[in-house]
Amino acid sequence: MDCQCLNVAKDCIKALLKKFPESKRVGRLEGMLLEAKGSWAEAEKAYSSLLEDNPLDQVIHKRKVAMAKAQGNISGAIESLNKYLEIFMADHDAWRELAEIYVSLQMYKQAAFCYEELILSQPTAPLYHLAYADVLYTLGGLENLQTSKKYYASTIDLTGGKNTRALLGVCLCTSAIGQVSKGKNKEDKESPELQSLAAKALEKEYRQKADDKLGLLTSALRSLKI
Amino acid sequence: MVAELKYEISQNAYIKLVLHALKHKTTAVNGILLGRVNPQNDSVVEITDSVPLFHSNLALLPSLEIALIMIEEHYGSKGLGIVGYFHANERFDDAELGIVAKNIGDHICRYFPQAAIFLLDNKKLEALPMGKDQSPVMQLYIRDASKNWKLAGPDGGSRLVIKEPAANAVLSDYISSEKWQDVVDFDDHLDDIKKDWLNPELFK
Repeated sequence: MDCQCLNVAKDCIKALLKKFPESKRVGRLEGMLLEAKGSWAEAEKAYSSLLEDNPLDQVIHKRKVAMAKAQGNISGAIESLNKYLEIFMADHDAWRELAEIYVSLQMYKQAAFCYEELILSQPTAPLYHLAYADVLYTLGGLENLQTSKKYYASTIDLTGGKNTRALLGVCLCTSAIGQVSKGKNKEDKESPELQSLAAKALEKEYRQKADDKLGLLTSALRSLKI
Repeated sequence: MVAELKYEISQNAYIKLVLHALKHKTTAVNGILLGRVNPQNDSVVEITDSVPLFHSNLALLPSLEIALIMIEEHYGSKGLGIVGYFHANERFDDAELGIVAKNIGDHICRYFPQAAIFLLDNKKLEALPMGKDQSPVMQLYIRDASKNWKLAGPDGGSRLVIKEPAANAVLSDYISSEKWQDVVDFDDHLDDIKKDWLNPELFK
């Protein structure tokens, strides 16, 4: 189905149906085939009837979200996904999907909430720390920038200092914090160590692996310190 | 009366962006257009190169800011600047210019007021292998006097042209040989800095 070979998919499903006539999974595949063909109403019917027999089938709930998204009904997708997460709040993929949808609509506060849930449930997963930091930086404002810097730092910690995005994030935050607190009473608790360590780590990485870009990196870092 | 600006994109810049979109069919992608105003004719903006940017989380600032700094630095030393923005929507039948694209476009206009947004035209792209159309598979958007992004009118077809007339034929070739696998974007670079977002070997 991913390759748009719908006839092949149809034949496969027929064969599966013969062998497993009452199977939920085959029922789902039939629904997916209808989706792939663009027969949204029929797919909706198929999934709804499957849900009647199995109201707690997570995959089918998520297929309905996917259908809403595919038809461009993003607000519908958000609503369904939120309802889904009220029941299945441990579904990390669903939280991630919701966060990404919110980001694409520039609803950063809501996206931040999703990443907070993810960090709570998986505090050692660097991906969520990094994504949360990115969202906070995008939201802006002194408090968010300071928190963002902390989460870039925790990402660096969790990834052994190897994550380029987090290292760059620290530099960006430092520069932005400097800009925002210009002229305000500087309670300079900000030690410059973190940012210069990050800069050094980046320069080392680039020197080793992307030597031709080292000049660009250095001038970028220079322009950030202003 | 503001003279009607024409935008001329080089074959390589054009193909790079379309291949990038094809590499990441299931997500939105974006890119930066580099170039300058034609020194002999200031009603023409030449796009001489492009940099594919991201295929995930296009609306987050940190990577975008770093990318813009590095891109400006690199091309600035060659006398070129950022002259526009390319965007391809996630879904096939979404032909609208979204808010993220408009915001990035607005930002670029602060530094280059004649900046344009090129939006991938999925239907034209689909029809590409079947026709002899030499016009680009993109739609041109420019800002009007009230700073709103508008699709360049029915004659928009002639305001956005590809410099080399055979570009679509070359593009179709590349599509059949799945050349999109070789395109590196800024996301790829941030994940592995050995990957070069300048794509120096792509058209060799």
